[in-house]
Amino acid sequence: MKAVILAAGEGTRLRPFTATEPKVMIPVANRPILQYVVESLVKNGIDEIVMVVGYRRQRIMSYFGDGDDFGADIEYVIQRKQPPSGGTAHALYQAKDKIEDEFLVLPGDNVISKETVSDLLNNMDDYSLLITKSETPSKYGVVTLEKGGEEIRNLIEKPQRSPSHLISTGICSFPPEIFRYIEETMKEDDYDIPSVIQKVLKDKSVRVIRTEETWIDAVYPWDLLHVNSAALGNVNKSINGQIEERVIIKGNVRIGKGTRIRGGSFIEGPAVIGEGCDIGPNACILPSSSIGDNTKVAPFTVIRNSVLMRGVLLEANSTVENSVIGEGVRIGTNFSTYSADSRVDAEDGLHQVKKIGVMIAEDSIVGSGVTVESGVIIGKDCEIKSGRTVRENLESGVKAV
Amino acid sequence: MCGIVGYTGHKDAGKVIISGLKRLEYRGYDSAGIAVKNEGSIYLQKKKGRIDQLDETEVPKYDAGIGHTRWATHGKPSDENAHPFLDCDENIALVHNGIIDNFNSIKDELLDKGHEFTSETDSEVIVHLIEENYHGDILEAFKKTIEFIEGSYAVALIHKDSNELIVARNESPLVIGVGSGENFVASDVPALLDHTKDVKYLLDGDIARVTRNEIEIWDEKDELVERETKRIDWDVEDAEKSGYEHYMLKEIFEQPKAIHESILGRLTSFDDVDLLKYDIDSVQFIACGTSSHAGYVGRYIFENLAEIPCTVEVSSEYRYTSPSDSTPFTILFSQSGETLDTIAAAREARKRGCNTLAVTNVMDSSITREVDEVVYTQAGPEIGVAATKTFTTQVIILYLLAIELGLKKGVLSRDKAEEYKDELRRLPRKVERILDDMDKIKDITERLSESRDIFFVGRNINYPVALEGALKLKEIAYIHAAGYPAGELKHGPFALLTEDTPVIALAVKDHTFQKMLGNIGEIAARNSPVIVVGDEDREIKKLADDFYFIPETTPIFSPLLVNVVLQLIAYYTAYRLDRDIDKPRNLAKSVTVE
Repeated sequence: MKAVILAAGEGTRLRPFTATEPKVMIPVANRPILQYVVESLVKNGIDEIVMVVGYRRQRIMSYFGDGDDFGADIEYVIQRKQPPSGGTAHALYQAKDKIEDEFLVLPGDNVISKETVSDLLNNMDDYSLLITKSETPSKYGVVTLEKGGEEIRNLIEKPQRSPSHLISTGICSFPPEIFRYIEETMKEDDYDIPSVIQKVLKDKSVRVIRTEETWIDAVYPWDLLHVNSAALGNVNKSINGQIEERVIIKGNVRIGKGTRIRGGSFIEGPAVIGEGCDIGPNACILPSSSIGDNTKVAPFTVIRNSVLMRGVLLEANSTVENSVIGEGVRIGTNFSTYSADSRVDAEDGLHQVKKIGVMIAEDSIVGSGVTVESGVIIGKDCEIKSGRTVRENLESGVKAV
Repeated sequence: MCGIVGYTGHKDAGKVIISGLKRLEYRGYDSAGIAVKNEGSIYLQKKKGRIDQLDETEVPKYDAGIGHTRWATHGKPSDENAHPFLDCDENIALVHNGIIDNFNSIKDELLDKGHEFTSETDSEVIVHLIEENYHGDILEAFKKTIEFIEGSYAVALIHKDSNELIVARNESPLVIGVGSGENFVASDVPALLDHTKDVKYLLDGDIARVTRNEIEIWDEKDELVERETKRIDWDVEDAEKSGYEHYMLKEIFEQPKAIHESILGRLTSFDDVDLLKYDIDSVQFIACGTSSHAGYVGRYIFENLAEIPCTVEVSSEYRYTSPSDSTPFTILFSQSGETLDTIAAAREARKRGCNTLAVTNVMDSSITREVDEVVYTQAGPEIGVAATKTFTTQVIILYLLAIELGLKKGVLSRDKAEEYKDELRRLPRKVERILDDMDKIKDITERLSESRDIFFVGRNINYPVALEGALKLKEIAYIHAAGYPAGELKHGPFALLTEDTPVIALAVKDHTFQKMLGNIGEIAARNSPVIVVGDEDREIKKLADDFYFIPETTPIFSPLLVNVVLQLIAYYTAYRLDRDIDKPRNLAKSVTVE
């Protein structure tokens, strides 16, 4: 059986972190979200994968190649132009020529596990949809059921008031005739899979399968922290690179090759540190932290429950907690964040977020002695002069002097 | 990466295996070997070098065997370290792709029991452990052995008394090709496609017995399972190129990873070579083609970071210069390590009393035996004839060497060195940002593909990049192109400028930028279309007909980024002209003749 992974979107609500990287390639415990999807399929014996790519597709293609390194055979189809809104059905339609039999569809931007896919495979019918419980159903497609909870009555996209707490994971199985339904739906200028399922429901039944296995979605930048910490739960201890004397490593910590941990550093898992990093001396890395490849963490710096992506430079005596630091960000000495419950101004309005530090996007440069208040989002390519305090969001490219 | 092929059936196994291995050459090509079952014994042939080194005519015609092509990462390529491996009694032959994590402890135990090893590889322990566990049933012995082994592997073996292949897979690829009256195994589908399109993919933990008429598979719980047979509907070339149209484009896109691999572990301690041993007052770079352009860039890097005077020589010329008293430290570049002119130059330099260092991409290649020191570019196999990622990683090595030398000579401060290293760490991402813009760069090439002549101009450290840009365009687009120092145009080539001769100007904001602006103005005044590649600038936007701005970087690192843009320009120009990009006419990947 083949699987189609939808990986063409940008993930606009994660901006500014999707400025150059599509959402599916955002690292979680140092691996792209999409890799969790691919591995979950391969572990279930599904290795023929069609990836629908579009936004920044080169990033995806050069990472996954032909799939060999992941035990899969990956073919790519390109969604050249996206319809104005949504467009999951339009994306899926691009894979039409590659599909002959019943197949699976999965969104590429949720972290899932092998068991999540097994739940679908073990219970599936011609048309099936994997659903799960959510505390915030109104962000998703909400499902109402019939026939004792076996089949879908209705699927409502992002309702104002949610009729149930059951939501669609976007993971489904379809027969090839689905493409006919997609064609019909697209004729009505509607390009989303939920609308296609509505159409199917008029003729057929769609079986629902509930899963309680891993399905984690990162919608907003701060969500990356809990997705990261959940994924770190599965990390096993594996130490490569060079560990100098008097380094203390506790718990499940994964350290990549070519990395050097200098003397006196303290690392407590779960945590992952990528390849080619230079950490310490006397740096302190506390649980639920991920540090990307080629990152440098200078002496006496503390990192706690944070995501540092690739190529970050974090100078001495700084504190980073409950924060997301994008690729290539450079931060001077004595930088501090503190975390608190905050109102965060995201792409689509204000959100109340618990215990959040700061979110800094790609290639921004932060001078020495800068303080950033909790909940602030700093765009990409910003420059903040030394000694400043940043109290509100900065748009990408702003030079704050 | 390595490649495995196995065959059992009615055809000549040697032929099937060797042609299959050639299809897997993209997985590595520094040594190769084959073992076929002969009358009651195993025939073995293995050699360092490309698969072509294997002598097919020597292989006895028989109907079952295995083969391997290797890309050494640990343990040098040599006849001994090539696969397949035999057990002590030469009953079993085995090939392996992957890494055995616990091989040291297994090897110690086997040595105690009297096993004799012929290689330095982790792979060889498997075959001896099987021998240890063998009591008449090869499948049982194999299963027992696999239980002991930790790590990643795709393994295939034959026993001298049977026509069956025994294979296993864990975290390394392995597929079974299903034929009629014959069956195959391979690391990747392309090796099979000449014979069958029906394959079974093994899962991690699977073990299989493959005979000419039967395929039995056991899963990790040792239960007999069925793996679905799938029909492959794509052609060979696509498969090896991971969705890219050409190897060259694939390799251009592999550059961020290649840079990452080349700096990995070398920024905190560069111990590939102990430069302190040598007294280095001057340096000469020697190479051919694209590698010689790396040498020209190297001259600026060394003079800048290490304040050492440098010269650059072309290999084929150097040999015939008259020797002098000076003995500069000599750095030679050869991607393949087999370039005959450069190897000869290495000998000559030694003869003249110079200390020599080779920068090459192929482990233990010929040039490494002709020099005092070797530094490897960690670019991985390069298949496209036009060098891309190997040039980039050669330049990376030059930065690493120059920083070390600068520190050693005390002309580069620790602080400054750290700054440069931080920038090296950022380079993979900066290259990625250029690759993200491939469509923008493709647009620039529209007018180029219709031109008969194209000029490239640069100044200072980007002058050699102009040479390299011109060479790439000649190589793959078959367009006449020439690189010049920007100030040289008015000393002759100006006469050729017309509105049909585009000029690609490389303008980065170093101390020559103002001069470059002047040069661009002069060219524009002759009505030649000017395309500028370099740092963002308002003036350039006004002057140039087209431009592409690279991500911000220190000028000394700009050649690397500018060159990636020029690679894409050459690629898309050739693409528009429908050239045979991966195999340009009259050219070979490694030039082993004078």
